[in-house]
Amino acid sequence: MKLEGILKKYFGFQTFKTGQKEVISSILSGRHTLAILPTGTGKSLCYQLPGYVLDGTVLIVSPLLSLMQDQVEQMMRMGEKRVIALNSFLNPVAKRSVLQNIERYKFIFISPEMLNVPYVMNRLHELSISLFVVDEAHCISQWGYDFRPDYLKLGEIRQQFGNPLTLAQTATASRKVREDITRFLHLKEVNKVETSIDRPNISLYIEKQMDYQTKQNRLFELVFSLRKPGIIYFSSKKIAEEIASQLRKRGIGKTMAYHAGLDQEQRVLIQQQFIHGQLDVICATSAFGMGINKNNVRFIIHYHMPMQIESYLQEIGRAGRDGLPSIAILLYSEGDVELPLQLAEGEMPSKEQVDWFFSWLKNNNHGKIELFYSNNDLRTIGGFSEIQWRIIEDIMKTLIRIENMDVEKMHDLVNEYINKRLEVKRANIFKMKKWIDLNGCRRDYILDYFDEPIKRNIPACCDVCGVDLNNYLAHDESIQERETLEEWKDYLSKLLISGLEV
Amino acid sequence: MPYIEIIILYCLKQLNGERTIYSIYHLLKGKKSSQTIQDAHLYKLTHFFRCFESISREVLETKIQKFLGNHWIVPNGDQQFLVTSVGEQVLTASLEKQPFPKHLDGWKYHSESLLFWERFSLLVQVISNFNFKEAHYIPIQKNKQVHRWLKLFLKENSWQKNSLGKILHSELMDCFESAQNINPAVFIFRLTGYCQIGLTPLQVAEKLKIETTKYYIEFQNIIHFLIQHVRANPIQYKLLSSIILDIKESNPLTHSSKITYEYVRKGLSIQEIAKTRGLKTSTIEDHIVEIALNIDGFSIDSFIDKGIQKKIIAVANRTETKQLKLIKKHIDTANYFEIRLVLAKFGGVKQ
Ligand SMILES: [Zn+2]
Repeated sequence: MKLEGILKKYFGFQTFKTGQKEVISSILSGRHTLAILPTGTGKSLCYQLPGYVLDGTVLIVSPLLSLMQDQVEQMMRMGEKRVIALNSFLNPVAKRSVLQNIERYKFIFISPEMLNVPYVMNRLHELSISLFVVDEAHCISQWGYDFRPDYLKLGEIRQQFGNPLTLAQTATASRKVREDITRFLHLKEVNKVETSIDRPNISLYIEKQMDYQTKQNRLFELVFSLRKPGIIYFSSKKIAEEIASQLRKRGIGKTMAYHAGLDQEQRVLIQQQFIHGQLDVICATSAFGMGINKNNVRFIIHYHMPMQIESYLQEIGRAGRDGLPSIAILLYSEGDVELPLQLAEGEMPSKEQVDWFFSWLKNNNHGKIELFYSNNDLRTIGGFSEIQWRIIEDIMKTLIRIENMDVEKMHDLVNEYINKRLEVKRANIFKMKKWIDLNGCRRDYILDYFDEPIKRNIPACCDVCGVDLNNYLAHDESIQERETLEEWKDYLSKLLISGLEV
Repeated sequence: MPYIEIIILYCLKQLNGERTIYSIYHLLKGKKSSQTIQDAHLYKLTHFFRCFESISREVLETKIQKFLGNHWIVPNGDQQFLVTSVGEQVLTASLEKQPFPKHLDGWKYHSESLLFWERFSLLVQVISNFNFKEAHYIPIQKNKQVHRWLKLFLKENSWQKNSLGKILHSELMDCFESAQNINPAVFIFRLTGYCQIGLTPLQVAEKLKIETTKYYIEFQNIIHFLIQHVRANPIQYKLLSSIILDIKESNPLTHSSKITYEYVRKGLSIQEIAKTRGLKTSTIEDHIVEIALNIDGFSIDSFIDKGIQKKIIAVANRTETKQLKLIKKHIDTANYFEIRLVLAKFGGVKQ
């Protein structure tokens, strides 16, 4: 059967999205594949469809529990029942029964830490793995922004499975990260499938402002005059809230803030309002955007400097999905580089925290270091933030498995690890800063960073090549917001009665 | 005066300098501890129970500093304050302008109001989309239990699906017509339907030009009103009342007190219960007080002699206090537990 036929049969779609067919053909021709596709291209289809063609089990390693759960639920909704997630959400009884009947499952999602459990591995070794999938493969590289030490041993695990056909997936990967992926997964030859990171309809525009106040005023000016809808990204919840409230007070656009500090109901409402056009500006932190399908976003403004080029590209990629001209503006004022540097440092546990942690281990462990997981107070007493604690947990999980490792040695290694991570983060920030200070074409620089060929003749490429901001302004300013002075009675009958009478 | 200040000043007045400011914090947060629950009853603050969960200690402490600076309150022991006559005047004037909503009853409805809202708002969204024959939309409520409830609700009840909208509409209109001092807009604009996404609390507050704290209390007030009103008139509000039919009217006792209550009904003494449960007698005494506060008709005669009961009531009335120490000074035959129990049962001072 042709691939389209299989697609129709199992998924009900007529056509593939960009990149999907290439990835699937590559796998089905028996080549290890590195797929670099932007988020939202339906990455799960790239291993699900081959799964139906190949005999044997598809094993998918995925770092984020929530993401894993989402994918499993999605596959189940599509009618695939032979799917399971092996992770810490599964209670011991359920885990036992799943493992006993592991042959029943066609698609097994697994968290990297589960791959350390001997019993789990023994059971998995009894299967024939037809496809080994590494999701979010950039996590394997310490140059990536989301390095997970757990991922480093995936190469070894692959070999234990007898070198199965492998698919590594990620949304963005710089040259260095790509090299790390093939190297650490022990892939001798790999076929790369990528859609370009470049979005030619999005102009890249940087404006330098003298100081904070000028920058703020310029933001109001821009938001007032630019064609909407648009998203403004901030690194701070508090400032996102403040600016949103200022914009509302000044009557510039219908604006709300969106960040992880809001309760779930409010987050859903604000997202949906934006999608339905009830809002036209969102003051967001990086929490906003995942899973949002809105085609006509016309501008993205960065009010604070992003931490790395990868996340910057992901955020501006939410503009212009309809292919129409859109603009990404980054506002930089003197000294703005300090904020990401502070944030990077704050994400890491401090030296004092680490010292405290190890002195606690020494005095309380009774020779059983792994017990520290179960001590929920430890995080609070040590004053670790959630991110800081995750870093400690990640690295400790790896260290605990190494034999003959004493606490002193661990202490040194943890310090070393943290310093190195911090160095990488700083390097990423300075790379971003270098891009901001660039005298040459901004697009060329990014393409080169991601190892892509330079393109020519892109209209309105970047502020260095020349962009006329006037092309992005709203022309119909005269159209006043139809400020609806709706009565609640009308609103209620609109909700409950009106559809019926049509 | 900001609304949050009115609430705090009112609580301070009710507490009469006999409890610390942190009892206000626990009350508004809705902490389910014997102490908080007893205080709420003793000082007639039950309606504010869990009505302002987002309050922080810092906000409370800054407000206290401000009140002190304005001479609205004076210290009366550690973290305890008395409202001055100036403070009382300010409070009375503010309450005249902005009286507390009268259906608010946090203690009675705290455990079901969120569930009611989740179910109701999802039902409206489903009906509205059904009316427009739209099958693809993002449910505004994420609680899986609520989704399951709705599926079952639509299946089990023999409502005609295309008449649901009209019925719900007319029941709601009836409800609001019989309500006084309620602005339904506070509630209605939060609702989501077909291609019309509801507003967040902040958005409605700004739209109606209400302070956010006040908005939040008004919203609770409407939820409490709806639950109370439809539950009292199940025939008139067939659809609305069936939304909460399966939610039991909350048993207000804490879990541990419920167990104690069962033993009491079996006739065990405080000492026996303490021994059986492996708890301190003082803990069991706390439970008994909580039961006396919450269960109408609970007899305390087996715990305390009727004569002493009468004496305690008399002293409490004469001294106009709920402070145990002061009452104990007058009756040395009674212990603290007995005094607390009598105050709980008879609400302290008689009218
Ligand atoms: Zn350029």
